[in-house]
Amino acid sequence: MAADNLPSEFDVIILGTGLSESVIAAACSRVGQRVLHVDRRSYYAGNWASFTFNGLLSWIEEYKAGPSQEAVQETWREKLEEGEEALALSPVDTSISNLEVFCYASSEEPEEEEEQAKDTTTCSVPQTPDSEGEVERCLLESSSVEEDEALAADGGSPEPAAGVDQTQPQGEASAEAEETEAEQETCPQVEQSQQEQQEKPFPAESQSEPKKQITYTKIVKEGRRFNIDLVSKLMYSRGLLVDLLIKSNVSRYAEFKNVTRILTYRNGKVEQVPCSRADVFGSKQLTVVEKRMLMKFLTFCLDFEQHPEEYQDFSERPFWNFLQTKKLTENLQHFILHSIAMVTPEVCTAEGLRATQHFLRCLGRYGNTPFLFPLYGLGEIPQCFCRMCAVFGGIYCLRHSISCLVVDKESNKCKAVIDSHGQRISCGHFVVEDGYIGEDQRKNTESRQISRAVLITDRSILPSDSEQQISLVTVPPMEPGSPVVWMVELCSSTMTCMPGTYLVHLTCSSSSGSAKEDLAPVVSRLFCTAVSPEEEPTEGEKGSEVPTMLWALYFNMRDTSAVDRSSYDLPSNVHVCTSPDAALGSDHAINLAEAVFRQFLPEEEFCPPAPNPEDIIYDGDGPQGEGPGFDEADPADASGSQGGESAEPQDVKQDAEQTGDVATEETSTRCEPGPASEE
Amino acid sequence: MNPLSIVWEKTRVNMEDYDYLFKIVLIGNAGVGKTCLVRRFTQGLFPPGQGATIGVDFMIKTVEIKGEKVKLQIWDTAGQERFRSITQSYYRSANALILTYDITCEDSFRCLPEWLREIEQYANTTVVTVLVGNKIDLAEKREVLRQRAEEFAESQSMLYLETSAKESDNVEKLFLDLACKLIREAKQNTLDNNDTANAMPGEGKAISYLSCCSTN
Repeated sequence: MAADNLPSEFDVIILGTGLSESVIAAACSRVGQRVLHVDRRSYYAGNWASFTFNGLLSWIEEYKAGPSQEAVQETWREKLEEGEEALALSPVDTSISNLEVFCYASSEEPEEEEEQAKDTTTCSVPQTPDSEGEVERCLLESSSVEEDEALAADGGSPEPAAGVDQTQPQGEASAEAEETEAEQETCPQVEQSQQEQQEKPFPAESQSEPKKQITYTKIVKEGRRFNIDLVSKLMYSRGLLVDLLIKSNVSRYAEFKNVTRILTYRNGKVEQVPCSRADVFGSKQLTVVEKRMLMKFLTFCLDFEQHPEEYQDFSERPFWNFLQTKKLTENLQHFILHSIAMVTPEVCTAEGLRATQHFLRCLGRYGNTPFLFPLYGLGEIPQCFCRMCAVFGGIYCLRHSISCLVVDKESNKCKAVIDSHGQRISCGHFVVEDGYIGEDQRKNTESRQISRAVLITDRSILPSDSEQQISLVTVPPMEPGSPVVWMVELCSSTMTCMPGTYLVHLTCSSSSGSAKEDLAPVVSRLFCTAVSPEEEPTEGEKGSEVPTMLWALYFNMRDTSAVDRSSYDLPSNVHVCTSPDAALGSDHAINLAEAVFRQFLPEEEFCPPAPNPEDIIYDGDGPQGEGPGFDEADPADASGSQGGESAEPQDVKQDAEQTGDVATEETSTRCEPGPASEE
Repeated sequence: MNPLSIVWEKTRVNMEDYDYLFKIVLIGNAGVGKTCLVRRFTQGLFPPGQGATIGVDFMIKTVEIKGEKVKLQIWDTAGQERFRSITQSYYRSANALILTYDITCEDSFRCLPEWLREIEQYANTTVVTVLVGNKIDLAEKREVLRQRAEEFAESQSMLYLETSAKESDNVEKLFLDLACKLIREAKQNTLDNNDTANAMPGEGKAISYLSCCSTN
């Protein structure tokens, strides 16, 4: 919290903390580059960020308010030297558009109070002294929270909730949150197998109690329990991101859960897609013959390259046509096309087969589906790479931007930047997120748009024995020409929403224009809006079957993932990281990061494993007498026991005498098989 | 408990055993002596004028308390506090937080509410927080009176301790008291750490799906 000056020279300066930028930062820092990583925002991960509910309201407010034109500072002119010119970066981000918020949750107060009363009486968790303290702490600090609160209060929707008191002190929320959280923690986390799920002792309130209405006030109060991603992606268990997390040891900073089921919308119903072998054989939807056909086809896909005769004639023809020749029922064709290959019908057969194969290869690594999801949301992942960068010496600065690049006219290279404080900082390479690049530097202004919706709902789209399901739902085009929508439904054990609610992300490539137009047809078919107690449900039976939306957000995000480097008019040592793409996985971002890294550090390894802290033996710190390493008993430590450490393998002993710092040399890779958490 | 570490720990079960594993996270302004506290405790060193610690995520020390082996995993900020840019993920799954200020630096004390706000926002609500006033060896330069700090800590329901990483005053006590408190809380909770293991990227298991149906 100290205002410090930045060093005046770095090997690499990175602007923007999205996934690609963060991976590049970690990779560069890891191999000894001096990295400065900045972001003009007050939070990490840019358009990959995840927010608490109140944080999201502030984010919405910011975008609705439009660009706050800062006073144009031309002070950097005087920082230029002979033969240099300045290339200004864009001070505003225009990647988000068509923001619309709808609040359907009731703002009734009485119920809220009842709930509170109940919560306190049924609380069986011994309160730690800290928990009481939080309330006070927050009240005491009202001045410092004011800023956020004010934003949150303003950030509410223009819809029915307008009258709700959103300015309640957060402290209350956290005290209450604590109870539920503590309760939750006493039960084992969700496991993959159904039996275990059933055995799981759920918090009483989520099972035995009748459904309580969740009010908007409650959502705001429990706002910190939400972690709402701007980008919704899943991690293929054998995708590039998971491989990189393992390889680099960055995985130690995050926790993951399996996506527990894959669903699809078909003939007006949500159905589960048989995914694992057990699913296929246990499926009640499929006939015995269908089961055989499906297994046979999937077995073929697993090593389709070995059987060219099966598909050669179709290689360049649509996958859909190929499926039709395979004696598969319509049912199965739907599952394979939309939920397993997850491609459009027009995609060529070779690509469809590859997609199917990838899905199958990802199955069973960690669980019953091919996907993982990070606890607390996808926004954690860029931060994990940032942490790795920092651990290896990278310098981090949020709320800090780069105003312009200093370009050497002769070589057309960026030799320095001038930051938002007017400081000139030299660099060898400059990496920048697409959103910071001004229109002048774009030769091709055309870009695609991603349509997004975020819903908070009161129940799962397909209720099951367990309330803690993480589901991927594929929704084929509602009508010809409309986009394929995929939807991720997250339960509260992913730490992305409060208990009793589900967080639903919808994503598609924009076809018509606004996110609302693209996604509303799907939303209205799969969800209903809350009915206020006064107007008794007229279409009762229908309304009670589908989840009720409590709150909804729509927005578009610019998708520059297909924009080629040559479309930017920038110096050769400036590298652009395009925005998140519309795909379900993150391969694009990881490929991009590696490609950028290779451009300027072709000789270096990309994200080699960071040493395991337990394998580092500190022995280079001056004379031996000064203090014991881990492998000696510490005389000053009466109760210490180094027994554990002395049993460490000695093969990674390292030297670091020159700096006094512990060594960074690579250790033997320690990517032991983490036991998959099932079975 | 960080399930990931536990999964990770499980793999080395043969090499070491312990009864508890706790993640302790240090926060506080730059220059208040966080790293020195950790190194003093884990290595018995006081590295004067050292720069940032490169390449080390966390340090480990196993201690024995009342016959039980307790492994403490102590995480440092990696310098991200310098420009107030600590990642949220740093706070996740910490069992205890050590919020440190420098008794000779009023400013580091005045920043405490800001730190508390971050804790409230991102840390687990059941986290144990200890306030530490470091550098008591520089008593003649003291700017923050002990009583003032005690009152503040009390108002926030934090434990309070003054330390000197240089003279090794209270450093052992800090971590051992914390370990005791964490054990007590863990015992109160029926929480069985090992059950919370979440899926983690590791090698996983070999594909079993479809492998036995090639005869179909």
